[in-house]
Amino acid sequence: MTAGTVDRATAALEQGQEPWGRAWVRSWNEFWFTPADPLPLAVVRICTGLLLAWSCLVWLRDVDAFFGPGGWLPAHEVWRMNDQPWQWSWYFAASSPNAVRVLGGITLAAAVLLTLGVATRLSAVVALAGLVSAANRASLNVFGLDDTLGLLLIPLVIGPAGACLSVDRWLGLAGQGGPSVTAAVALRLLQVQLCVVYFFSGCGKMFGASWWEGTAIWGAVANGHYRTLDLTGLARHPLVTNALTLGTLFWEVAYPAIVWPRLTRRLALAMAVAVHLGIGLSMGMLEFGLAMITANLAFVPAASWRSLARRLL
Amino acid sequence: MSNRSMTASRPTSVPPPASARHWSAAARLLASLAIIVYLAAVTLPPLAGPPPASELAGRLMQPLRPLVGALYLGHGYRFFAPDPGPGHSIRWKMQLTDGSERSGSIPDRDADRPRLLYHRRFMVAEKIAALVPPPDAPEGVRLAARRDWQPLIKGVAGNLLAAHDGVRVRLEMVEHFLPGPDDVVQNRTEPDVVTPLGTYARLKGRAP
Repeated sequence: MTAGTVDRATAALEQGQEPWGRAWVRSWNEFWFTPADPLPLAVVRICTGLLLAWSCLVWLRDVDAFFGPGGWLPAHEVWRMNDQPWQWSWYFAASSPNAVRVLGGITLAAAVLLTLGVATRLSAVVALAGLVSAANRASLNVFGLDDTLGLLLIPLVIGPAGACLSVDRWLGLAGQGGPSVTAAVALRLLQVQLCVVYFFSGCGKMFGASWWEGTAIWGAVANGHYRTLDLTGLARHPLVTNALTLGTLFWEVAYPAIVWPRLTRRLALAMAVAVHLGIGLSMGMLEFGLAMITANLAFVPAASWRSLARRLL
Repeated sequence: MSNRSMTASRPTSVPPPASARHWSAAARLLASLAIIVYLAAVTLPPLAGPPPASELAGRLMQPLRPLVGALYLGHGYRFFAPDPGPGHSIRWKMQLTDGSERSGSIPDRDADRPRLLYHRRFMVAEKIAALVPPPDAPEGVRLAARRDWQPLIKGVAGNLLAAHDGVRVRLEMVEHFLPGPDDVVQNRTEPDVVTPLGTYARLKGRAP
């Protein structure tokens, strides 16, 4: 429930205008089911489609090793490691290298069509199936990028992601692109999921002494396998390392609280861009950073996108 | 704080036109149930694992396992937690069919391009390293752990032997020294920790 919704419900309760239970129901309905402009969802769709297409191209660079019968991880070992039969993958059914390539190509095609907004909902469903299949088959090779792409794709399956900025719209197959309840549900799901991710990511860090001591960022900077930008000069500036570490920790934990009020939302989103671009550029995980920034775009209202477009065009 | 300043993020600031279709109470009820189930499937996995984990969350998650598995929602979201640690790589040395030798590393910073490919291969070393105890761990611990990591390392060995047409390959896990700030200032380094992972041979075209 957002701060504004809660404010209105609280005011009504204090004035005795509305019973507590009814105020909850009304606030819930207002939060989830107020028709929303699908434009932000379309922006998320384009960014997600591009990232997924790039990820598919990289999977295809070594497709036999990732998904093939003689790859890094034999299929029977995946079956043993994962929570079967629920963690399914269409690659389990692929018995030949050609079948593996065709399935990888289908995911790439779906990602491209999703980006363009062609048969958008079907493309989103196939893209999600391809992403889940890849992640569940190549368990040894997945990381935060894949988790985030999964969370991004699910709202794109639910909402009218092709209602704006799409070939579907251009062909008149996606309606008028006006506000809809499914757009609201999809955007709200993405917003709430993102809060869950940051909250647990922050809580996980609070187990670690280095996050409390303010030295954790050093641990990431000094790890040569992640490093793409040499920031070991921070060794001579421990207080800067402390500030970066504690700033990251408290921003992550506080994100679910500070992203909703308009007063602090820009700060929360600006921190998200800074943290994820920083990690992306200095630790070689640009795609993961861009995926997290894409998820944050769900908090940018349609009016802001329109205003930006007017200024640019 | 004014009401305006506290107005929450709405998916849109455009008021819905009169033509916008609202859902009936029954539709909202069904959708609300689906939303609650879905959010439970998103929220329970990080509570249910990896350790330390809540037993209650684990039990509540049981009926949601099909949904969590089908939609790939079973994540802990513990990025760089609890503490960023040292990096790992798998060093290999292979005897080829012509008798010559070749060596390499997973990941390979020079050969694994683009960076996303490097990162996907880096994850192989990191995920297997999480299962391999240090060489000075008690023998019982090392033997128990071997049951977990050896099937995975056999897959890695088989993939390397097939890719390079090798006869046998020796693998070792390298935990790279993570310098502290003082180490960097004083230009001090320590040796990496190396754990042997065994030698694996290809048997008549089959994986080891």
